[in-house]
Amino acid sequence: MTIAPDAWAVIGAGPHGISALKALLERGIPAHGFERDTDLGGNWNYHAENSRVYESTHLISTKPFTQFPDFPMPDSYPDYPSHWQVHEYFTTYAEHFGLLDHLSLSTEVVRCEPVGPDASDGWDVTVLDRTSGTESTHRFAGVVVANGHNWWPKIPNYPGQESFTGEIRHSAQYKGADVLRGKRVLVVGAGNTGCDIAVESAQNARSTLHSTRRGYYYNPKYAFGRPSDQTADLLLAMRLPLALRRIMFKTTLRLTVGDFTKFGLPKPDHEFFETHPIINQQLVYYVGHGDIIPKPDIERFEGDTVYFTDGSSAEVDLVVFATGYLAHFPFLDDSWLNPDGDHPVLARQIFTPAFDSLVVSGLIQPDSGQWTIAHWQGVLIAAYAEAMRDDPRAARAFYDQMMDQIQVRFTGGADYKESTRHYYEIAHQEYLRALEADLSRLEGVPA
Amino acid sequence: MSRAGSSVNVDPRLRKPTTVMRLWDWSLPPHGVHREVLSAVPDGWADEPRATRTPPLLFIHGLAHGAWCFAENWLPAAAAKGFPAYALSLRGHGGSGGSRQRRRTLMRHYVHDVMQTITELPQPPVLVGHSMGAIIAQLVADRYSPRALVLLTPAPLQGAGATMLELARRKPMAAATVVAGGTLPMQAPQLFTGLDDATADHYVSRLVPESPWVQYELLRRRRIGPVRAPVMVAGTKADRLVRVADIERTAAAYGVDPVWLTRADGQPLGHDVMLDTGWDRALDSVLEFVSANTMSRG
Repeated sequence: MTIAPDAWAVIGAGPHGISALKALLERGIPAHGFERDTDLGGNWNYHAENSRVYESTHLISTKPFTQFPDFPMPDSYPDYPSHWQVHEYFTTYAEHFGLLDHLSLSTEVVRCEPVGPDASDGWDVTVLDRTSGTESTHRFAGVVVANGHNWWPKIPNYPGQESFTGEIRHSAQYKGADVLRGKRVLVVGAGNTGCDIAVESAQNARSTLHSTRRGYYYNPKYAFGRPSDQTADLLLAMRLPLALRRIMFKTTLRLTVGDFTKFGLPKPDHEFFETHPIINQQLVYYVGHGDIIPKPDIERFEGDTVYFTDGSSAEVDLVVFATGYLAHFPFLDDSWLNPDGDHPVLARQIFTPAFDSLVVSGLIQPDSGQWTIAHWQGVLIAAYAEAMRDDPRAARAFYDQMMDQIQVRFTGGADYKESTRHYYEIAHQEYLRALEADLSRLEGVPA
Repeated sequence: MSRAGSSVNVDPRLRKPTTVMRLWDWSLPPHGVHREVLSAVPDGWADEPRATRTPPLLFIHGLAHGAWCFAENWLPAAAAKGFPAYALSLRGHGGSGGSRQRRRTLMRHYVHDVMQTITELPQPPVLVGHSMGAIIAQLVADRYSPRALVLLTPAPLQGAGATMLELARRKPMAAATVVAGGTLPMQAPQLFTGLDDATADHYVSRLVPESPWVQYELLRRRRIGPVRAPVMVAGTKADRLVRVADIERTAAAYGVDPVWLTRADGQPLGHDVMLDTGWDRALDSVLEFVSANTMSRG
């Protein structure tokens, strides 16, 4: 591998890694990517050790906002492509833009160390070639962290859990419905993964319980014959106020799905847009068939029995914790991105107070598709890297301005419920409007 | 050839910052239709290392034309000089589908067709747009960074209002047709200066109806975002559809000097530079620009 002296390192070759790599190269900033697996795609590379997609995973947002805006998915793909198609799409993207010449596969970043005060002389990035087992260290001007935040399992701890006699599995270890067949299954968590697995369990297991801490809005993938995320974007495009959009969404849900509580689901304890959207048309259907029994939070485990907070209990063979993931950066000093030990607080979810040449892409949980945002994060990072190289004073002024706004969050006016899954939650249009203004400032073209 | 975006001569009224928000693309995406893509690729090109091989050329036709207008001369001639050359028919034109939805077709549907074609190419192409196709090429370049951008007798960036007024004065019936939603009538003398009548009439007979909405959209002023690709703006002084002043203004938007296409005897070509007598010299100008501006970076 030959690396230019003033290159940027990109850690991870998932969608955020490849779009950052492409954006840098497109601007003439030398860059090199590292991917620990044998193939690119990150989470969407089904066979990879840290991939968390399962056999049946499909996108829960449709193509228009999910795809990279400068490289649309083929017309032949459906509205909600499968993970196989997504991986094929990323591969085509990387080939089209010639990224493979600038990407080391099977190469794991083990350490990033700043050189000089405040990394003013760059970064020493130590990588492990997983094929040969040899380590080597390379000097970079800056580092883009794009290792994903949906791979390090967050495992809850309930009383009696260690002595539970059934099997416990995190959704990270869930690749398909085989493990559910014939069992009495309890799925914990109402994220999109939890709902998917509950549905697959309803189709395959002997019985399925679904434990959630609160009631949620289960949004259909289609409403009135249109993909619902496109309708949501249409309402945002019309600049309808949050209160009105809430009424319209709830009315749509009422008309298309009905009253959740009549299916036996708990009533949502929060307003629309206050939790990360769940897109699942089938869950309510299986609840209506009695194939999924809704349950509240777990109170404790005892032998092969699970006790719930409403006093009910059930014997269970398999518990699937679909309780989400935590951000984890094994190649960085914990005190840099995450000095408070809770979760990284970044300006625009990109820039850290620790170093001006260490940036993050992908630490977002949008209420929409993701890779349009991945693209623009990459473009902003590349524009910033270009300014650092060509106009350091402008870059410094921009960075300082970012730090001044580090507390700004992009909630679309909603109050997100307290939960680790909402650390990185963003309202996509509000967030992109901010990036648009940032780019205009960095590129010196006034709107 | 100076690079756009950095030159002090750029006309700021035609520029805008990077567009991130594409609300209509996200909420009302165009559906796909069958696309006709004609191509001529030099033997062995695909086996050459991508860093050093010639970039592909993607030709985008103008109002009422189709991929055929490039297939006639330019595609094989470009391939013979080592350039893989592709031309697509926008929906409702040539061999592409969508003609039944013609009266509901907007410019953004054409942008969609071009973007889809780009994703099927092995590497970023040089976008070559002719007339209305030059507007589409610029809209595409606002989303996607092409290897280079070539605008041939481009429809005016600042809107075709002045052209329409002039048309209304000289040919009131033609202007009335466009206002009423009919296709801009184009006859041989408006498109060609050097072809014999039979050939010229044959080409004119291949023209198809255009979407009325797209024609209206051509009246609109367009602003262009930061373009990093090298840009060539070429016109002819005998063009009876696009005014010389408009070509100069488009070139000024990018801070480049316009290139004026002529035959060997110095006579200017007509609007359809890929079909008119002298098409070979016009193509040579394009290929020279592409070679000079894309092969150095590797």
